[in-house]
Amino acid sequence: MVSSDHLNLVYDIKLSSVGPGHVTGSDVVHEPSNMDLAMKLHYLRGVYFFSSEAVQGLTVYRIKEPMFTWLNHYYWTCGRFRRSNSGRPLIKCNDCGVRIIEAKCDKTIDEWLEMKDSSLTKLLVSNHIVGPELPFSPLVFLQVTSFKCGGMSLGLSWAHVLGDAFSASDFINMWGQAMANQLPQHPVDLPKSSFMLVKPANRSQLATDPLSIKRVDPVGDNWITVNNCKMEPFSFHITATQLTQLQAKISGHKATPPFECLCTIFWQSIARVCSRHEPEIVTVCKNERGSRRTGTLSNSAQIISTVKADFSVKEAKPKDVAALLVEHAVDERGLIEAAVERDGGVSDFIIYGANLTFVNLEEASFYGLELNGQKPVHVSYLIDGIGDEGVVLVAPPGPKDSGKDSNEGKIVTVILPEDQVMELKSELKREWSIA
Amino acid sequence: MPQASPELSSSVKLKYVKLGYQYLVNHILTLLLIPIMVGVLIEVLRLGPDEILNLWNSLHFDLVQILCSSFLIIFATTVYFMSKPRSIYLVDYACYKPPVMLRVPFATFMEHARLVLSSQPKSVEFQTRILERSGLGEETCLPLTVHYIPPRPTMEAARDEAQLVIFSAMDSLLNKTGLKPKDIDILIVNCSIFSPTPSLSAMVINKYKMRSNIKSFNLSGMGCSAGLISIDLARDLLQVHPNSNAVVVSTEIITPNCYQGNQRAMLVPNCLFRMGGAAILLTNRRWEHRRAKYRLVHVVRTHKGADDKAYRCVMEEEDPEGKVGISLSKDLMVIAGEALKTNITTTGPLVLPASEQLLFLLTLIGRKIFKQNWKPYIPDFKLAFEHFCIHAGGRAVIDELQQNLQLSAEHVEASRMALHRFGNTSSSSLWYELSYIEAKGRMKKGDRIWQIAFGSGFKCNSAIWKCNRSIEPPRDGPWLDCIHRYPVHIPEVVKL
Repeated sequence: MVSSDHLNLVYDIKLSSVGPGHVTGSDVVHEPSNMDLAMKLHYLRGVYFFSSEAVQGLTVYRIKEPMFTWLNHYYWTCGRFRRSNSGRPLIKCNDCGVRIIEAKCDKTIDEWLEMKDSSLTKLLVSNHIVGPELPFSPLVFLQVTSFKCGGMSLGLSWAHVLGDAFSASDFINMWGQAMANQLPQHPVDLPKSSFMLVKPANRSQLATDPLSIKRVDPVGDNWITVNNCKMEPFSFHITATQLTQLQAKISGHKATPPFECLCTIFWQSIARVCSRHEPEIVTVCKNERGSRRTGTLSNSAQIISTVKADFSVKEAKPKDVAALLVEHAVDERGLIEAAVERDGGVSDFIIYGANLTFVNLEEASFYGLELNGQKPVHVSYLIDGIGDEGVVLVAPPGPKDSGKDSNEGKIVTVILPEDQVMELKSELKREWSIA
Repeated sequence: MPQASPELSSSVKLKYVKLGYQYLVNHILTLLLIPIMVGVLIEVLRLGPDEILNLWNSLHFDLVQILCSSFLIIFATTVYFMSKPRSIYLVDYACYKPPVMLRVPFATFMEHARLVLSSQPKSVEFQTRILERSGLGEETCLPLTVHYIPPRPTMEAARDEAQLVIFSAMDSLLNKTGLKPKDIDILIVNCSIFSPTPSLSAMVINKYKMRSNIKSFNLSGMGCSAGLISIDLARDLLQVHPNSNAVVVSTEIITPNCYQGNQRAMLVPNCLFRMGGAAILLTNRRWEHRRAKYRLVHVVRTHKGADDKAYRCVMEEEDPEGKVGISLSKDLMVIAGEALKTNITTTGPLVLPASEQLLFLLTLIGRKIFKQNWKPYIPDFKLAFEHFCIHAGGRAVIDELQQNLQLSAEHVEASRMALHRFGNTSSSSLWYELSYIEAKGRMKKGDRIWQIAFGSGFKCNSAIWKCNRSIEPPRDGPWLDCIHRYPVHIPEVVKL
């Protein structure tokens, strides 16, 4: 909850809608794949901060105008969900539009970033969910907040059923291209519907759900799960030098990739502080290079694999855990799709937070959104609607940090039950010097 | 088959009889003149050239008689030419095309209505039903302020919309015709709901830096038929002022018009009215007839305001919650039909060929004197006009007129398609329809056009134009990018 004196920080809220300029036509329908439906209870909340130079001369009119051409390329994001006769959700492409929120804030961008309070991000991006009425729930919300210094923040609230974080990032980056009049000529093709990646080995595997997903109680048309405890997000900025030191500490002579290093650190630390049980299975999400077509939105190009530890993670040597992560991750996408297909896409699942989940967003081009040729000064992404086990996101750093090292720094955002937060912070500081 | 052929042959026979009758009555003078001319010719031939010469010499003309006769002839000719009303030409006109970012798809309209009227689901359902049957398409446009949830119409926003629409139409007109703002002698702006001070005509004069002795008029509150009232006013002024240009700007500003209450009678305009505007250049300068598109033949105005029901049928008022909206009565169609009948009674004799007028007269006499239960004869206006522009007030209006005047689908196509693409743009809708006909390449020299507009009061106004030159499909205009998609089939009920 945001405290009452913070509620007035962002004010003068105005709502409107923006849709595709071109008429999509009646009876155009987009059917989400099985992978898309598995992700439907999750939401991405991204906030991009821009300095005043980047947004000079940008009135609301100038911001909205290119959106109509941009959304011609993504017309299905402007549609609304319906249920087919079998109960399977599909999107009716009726050009209803994405919701635009305009707001003002009396702080400057620097003052806001100084506050380092992740919960305040809720004021800059809509916390919408799909439902309770599917035909009238927008899938994408964009909030444009003007700051006192002339800077601006753009809050992208994205229903994960449309695509993963890489897709969302591509989506919003294309708006930046539209602002600069650099849109590609022809609208992109619709992403192809589901395809089975991995043929399940035997029928017994088919009958049970894979480890990476958790079946939740039916949520009906209100697409959000309820957590048993309050989840709190907090971020760490790990510089390039710190990262090299950590890698050395973990693996010694053999170099472990930075993402796996961070996973090891956080897995062990969370295992040590988690009072209820030690997480034996973790889910790891990574971009699958080469399987993503530019400008398409998809959930199927993110590898979702599980790693199962036969030994106690909190007592093990870090390099053993790292080796486990690198070598023994099992891609479960085929099994996930089979599980969704079994019920005809009607059941409700969560993936992020079903187990402790590590999401590798290093390859997302968050800083690819440019306005007036300038990159954002800061970008943060959160995932909403996650399970109680928590999520760790590893994202690329801001433009200031990437530099001479071949290893860039990272921003690690952790979303955990609030009772574990303080202990985790002290554990990380003590063991790994991460603050 | 044997049953069909006598019916078929009798209907064919009837058709030929009707054609023969029309030809006879419409060309009666020619038909009478021919035997007379033949008779004279025979007489002349009979007399022979010498006799004619003798006849000529026997006529004594002295100077005084010749002079008086010639003065008489010259005097009569001068009086005739002076008293003949000046020809009014429509040089060209421009319609406002709203940008794609102002477009309102059905789904967006309904979703916003649900959010604004969240406590009134029945009103939302009512609006859905109206929208489904409205005949509008997915490309109609509303101003920027109305896109907000909820709309917050301010005077400044209304002025912005007025400037956007009127200045775009004016710029387009000045560009097309090469007219300089300083050459405009008469300016008439009509906009029913939005009437600020200084007026919209003053706004135009300020923007384009027009002359200080311009004759400007601003008509407000006159409803959707104000466009033709402005044309009538321009015509009267052009009779008085020689060698003048008149610019008429017809528009309706939507921003102050959006009703946010829940009275059903007042929600209908929200569903139908959309952004639009037109600027028209009229002139009485004789040399303009070379490039003018149309010549104004008649304007007929009918006002049913003396009848209380007609007066109250379109009323701007406050609802029980104090919100202002335009209330449409349930008798609207009936009153419109009656107003049309009155208008036709005056228009008919001006435009119908003699054959139709005679038939109508005979049927009227027959019904009155012999008190027969004959159906009233509806004159065939298709004989008098090639094109019809019926104000796109709504699907019901167009259906009603199509039935009353017995028009084919092609005759009302321009009206239906303008309603689909642009919605009800009030007084400027007639110009979008005319533009459609031109864009389809159907306008030929000599074609006669009938523009009919209805408006609050209750008024029914007609303007009759004659096409002055064959018009090629224009290379600009509001239909340029979409004419190839038209005509479209508009379903009875659109499933939202």
